Amino acid sequence: MRHLAVIVACVLGGAVLLSGAAEAHANYVRSNPAADARLVKAPAEIRIEFSEPPDPKGSEIQVLDTATGKRHDTGPVTPSGDPNGLRVAVGLIGDGGYVVAWTATSAVDGHTTKGNFAFVIGNGPLPPVPQVAEAAPPPSLLEIAGRALSYSGIALGLGTAFFVLFVAPAGIDPRRESWLLCIAGVLVVAGSLMLIVDQGAKLPPRLGVMLGVRAFAGLVLAAVSVTPRLALMRPVAAIAGGGVMTIGPLGTVRPRRMIALAAGIAAAMTATLVSHATALGSLESMALDFVHVLSVSVWTGGVVALLWCMLLASHDDTAEDARALGATVWRFSVSAMIATALLIAAGVLQAFNRLVLINDLYETPYGVALAVKIVLVLVALAIGALNLLRWGPRLRAGIRARTALIRDTMAETGIFIVIIVAASVLTALAPPAQPSASAYDQTQHVSGLRLEMLVASGGAGRNTYELRVHQGLAPVTGAEKVAFRFTMVEHDMGQQELVATERAAGEYVAEGSPTAMYGTWKIQTIVRLAGLEDVSTVFTVPVSAPGGGGSTAAPPLTIGPYLVIVLTLFAVVVGADGNPVVGKKLHATFSGPSSQAPLDAVEDPATFGPGRYKFDVAGLDPGTWKVTLAIGNEGTGAYSLVVSR
Amino acid sequence: MSRVLAALATLAIVASSFAVTSNVALGHEHRRVGPYTFVVGWINEPAYVNAANGLSLDVTETSSSKPVEGLATSLQAEVIVGGGAKKLALDLATDEESPGHYTGAFVPTKVGDYIFHVFGDVGSTKVDERFESGPNTFDGVVSTDQLQFPDRVAANADLSARLDSMQTLVIAAIVIAGLALLASVGGLVTRRR
Repeated sequence: MRHLAVIVACVLGGAVLLSGAAEAHANYVRSNPAADARLVKAPAEIRIEFSEPPDPKGSEIQVLDTATGKRHDTGPVTPSGDPNGLRVAVGLIGDGGYVVAWTATSAVDGHTTKGNFAFVIGNGPLPPVPQVAEAAPPPSLLEIAGRALSYSGIALGLGTAFFVLFVAPAGIDPRRESWLLCIAGVLVVAGSLMLIVDQGAKLPPRLGVMLGVRAFAGLVLAAVSVTPRLALMRPVAAIAGGGVMTIGPLGTVRPRRMIALAAGIAAAMTATLVSHATALGSLESMALDFVHVLSVSVWTGGVVALLWCMLLASHDDTAEDARALGATVWRFSVSAMIATALLIAAGVLQAFNRLVLINDLYETPYGVALAVKIVLVLVALAIGALNLLRWGPRLRAGIRARTALIRDTMAETGIFIVIIVAASVLTALAPPAQPSASAYDQTQHVSGLRLEMLVASGGAGRNTYELRVHQGLAPVTGAEKVAFRFTMVEHDMGQQELVATERAAGEYVAEGSPTAMYGTWKIQTIVRLAGLEDVSTVFTVPVSAPGGGGSTAAPPLTIGPYLVIVLTLFAVVVGADGNPVVGKKLHATFSGPSSQAPLDAVEDPATFGPGRYKFDVAGLDPGTWKVTLAIGNEGTGAYSLVVSR
Repeated sequence: MSRVLAALATLAIVASSFAVTSNVALGHEHRRVGPYTFVVGWINEPAYVNAANGLSLDVTETSSSKPVEGLATSLQAEVIVGGGAKKLALDLATDEESPGHYTGAFVPTKVGDYIFHVFGDVGSTKVDERFESGPNTFDGVVSTDQLQFPDRVAANADLSARLDSMQTLVIAAIVIAGLALLASVGGLVTRRR
C-alpha cells in the first residue's frame, strides 16, 4: 500500500511539472474600432484580433449602448480573415458611447478570456469601461484534475518505457512494468475524457482532435500492458515506430516497450500541441516545450519505474546484488542528469520568452509557480545527486545501500507532493509576457513597483497613455496621483504634464497631445501613493513620422522637371538615463532585395538635434531590408525596414 | 516710420523692464485665495538638490496688488515629499525690504517634486492650500550632475542605492559562503566515516 502511494505521489508530481508548460489564453491585441476610438460615423462591424487563435463557436462579441443597455451586435461571431481575428456585424447605431464586451475561447486549449473596450461616435464623452471580474477565469477543478491525470499518465508511460528500454537490466520482471504501463494508460484516457467533459459543447474541434489522439495513445499504453502477445507482433512495432524501430536490435527484442514509448511520445506531443507555445505559432517555442515535456517524463516517470521495478523488487543481500543494483542506479542517474539538464535548459529559454522582468518570478502568479517549481526541482536534483554520489558508489562497491536509496527516492516523492499543493492552481495562469495592442509597451521595476507603460499609437498627435501599476501580486489602486511628464529629446519643447485617472484596478490612463512632433520623447511617470515617497522613472518613447518606421522621407525636391524624394534614415541614440548620446560612430549594413553599400552615419547636433544620426541612403529597392546598426565596437542591433514602391 | 519703430522699441523695452524687475518670479505658481493672491515657488531657481533653498511666498490683495504683511505668525507652512512620506514644518520669515514676501528655508535633499502646504489665517480668510511643483507651476528639485566639474560627486540617494545593492550582494555572498562551508564540513564527515 505504501508503495502504491509512492507511485501515485511521484506520478502526480510529474504531472504538475508538466502542466506548467501548457497554457494558452486568447488575449485582446487590437480591434477595429480601436479601444477608446472616437468615430465620426457608425461602424458596420466590430473586428477584434487576439494573441492566439480563438474558436468562433465558443466566443462572443457584444456591442452595448451604455445609455440604454441595448445590444446592437447582429448575427453570429465569425472569423474576420485577420490573423486570430473575429468579427461581428453591428446594426444601425447613432451617436453615443458604446462598450464592446468580448469573450474569447482559445481554439488551442479551450481557455476563456474576457474583456471590454469602449468607443464613441460623435462628440460625446467616452463611456466608462466596466471592470471584468475575471478576465481569465481560473480553470475548473475538473479541468485541473483532467490535466493532472493525463499529464501524469504521459510521464509515467513515457518514463517507464524509457527506463525499461534503456536503463533497466535485461532480467527485469515484466509484470511490474505492465502495472505501471496499465496505470499510465488509464490515467491518460481518464484525464483526456475529463478534459473533454469539462469543455462540453464548447469543445474546440482542434482541441477535441488532440484529446482524442491522447486518449488513443492512452488506450495503446493500456493495451500493451494487458495484451503482450498482441504487442509482440512485429508489424505493430513497425507501425508504432514508423519503421525505425524495426531496424537492428530495436526491431525484435522489445516491441511492446517500443510501442509504449511511441505511445508516450505521441501523447507528449499532444501536450505540446495544445500549449501556449503552439498557440503563439513559434516553432522554436514548440521545440522547447516538447523537449521540456519529454525530459520531465523521462525523469519523473523514470524515478517511479526505478522505485517500483528495481528498488522495491530487488535485493542487495549479497555484494553481487548490490553491485548490479548500483550499476542500474548509475545508468538511471546518467539518464536523469541528461534529462534534467535538458529540462532546465528548455525551461530557462522558455522563461526568457514568458517573463518580462526577473521580478516577475515573485511578482506574478505565473512567476511564483515557476519559482516554486525551480526551487523544488533544485531540491529534487540535490537528492538525486546524493543518490548518485553517496549511495551509488556504495552499491557499486558491493556495500548495502538499497534501504537508504528507497528512503531518498521517497523524499523526492515528498517534494513532488509539495509541488502539487503549491502549483496546481497557479499553473493555470497566463505568463506575464503577452502580445500588446499598444505601439509602445515597456515594463520597469522601480522602488518595489512594477510599472508597465503603454502608448496606444506610435505616431505624433493625440494619443492614449496608460500606466499599469502593480506591487507584488496585486494592482495598486487608489493612487493619490499618477502623472506623465513629456520632454522631447532632440528639441527643447518644454515640459508638459498629463494627470491620469484610474480606469480599472491598477490601470491609470491619460489622453492628450503632448507628443506633437515626431522624434524621441522622454515620458517621466510619477506615482504618488499615500504616505510614501513618489515613485518616478523615465520611459524613452520613439514617436514616428507619418508613414511610420525608422525611415523618413524628406520633403520632395523639384530639380528641373523632376521630383526627387530623398530617403533618409535617422537613428537616435539614447542613454540609460533617457538623454541623447552624442559623439558615437554609427555604421549601418544592409541586406535585402539588392545590394547596398554599408554607410557611416553623419552627426550634426546643431542641425538634427543632439543624439540624432543620419544615414544618407541614395535609394533602396522595394522590399524588406534588414538593417544592422553598429555603435562603434560597443554592440550591434538589427531591424527590418519595409520599402514600398 | 522710423519714429513709430523707435516708439514701439521704447515701449517694448519699458514693458520688458517691468517683467524683469517684478518681484514675482516666472517659475512661481499664482493662485487666488479669497481676496488674496498667493505666489509660491522656490527662493532660488532652479532648485538644486543639496543646495540651500526654501519656500518663497508672496501674498498680495488681489484687488489692489497691495502686499499683505504680518502673516509670519498667522500663517504656517510645511513642505511635503510624495504622498506625505515626510513633512517638515517651515519657519516663515519676513523680508523687510520686500513687504508681503515670506520665506521658509530648508535644504532639499532629493530630486523630484515637492509640495508646499500653506495654512492658517489671512485676516478673516481661512487658508489651506497645497502648492505642488510641476510643469505648470514651479519646477521641482533638479540634480547638479550636469554642473559638477571637474569631478562628479554622486548624490546621496545614488550612494544609498549603491549601498543597498552592495548589501544584497554581501548577503548573497555570505549565504553562498555558508553553504560552501556546510558542504565542506559534510564532505569531511562523510570521508571520515
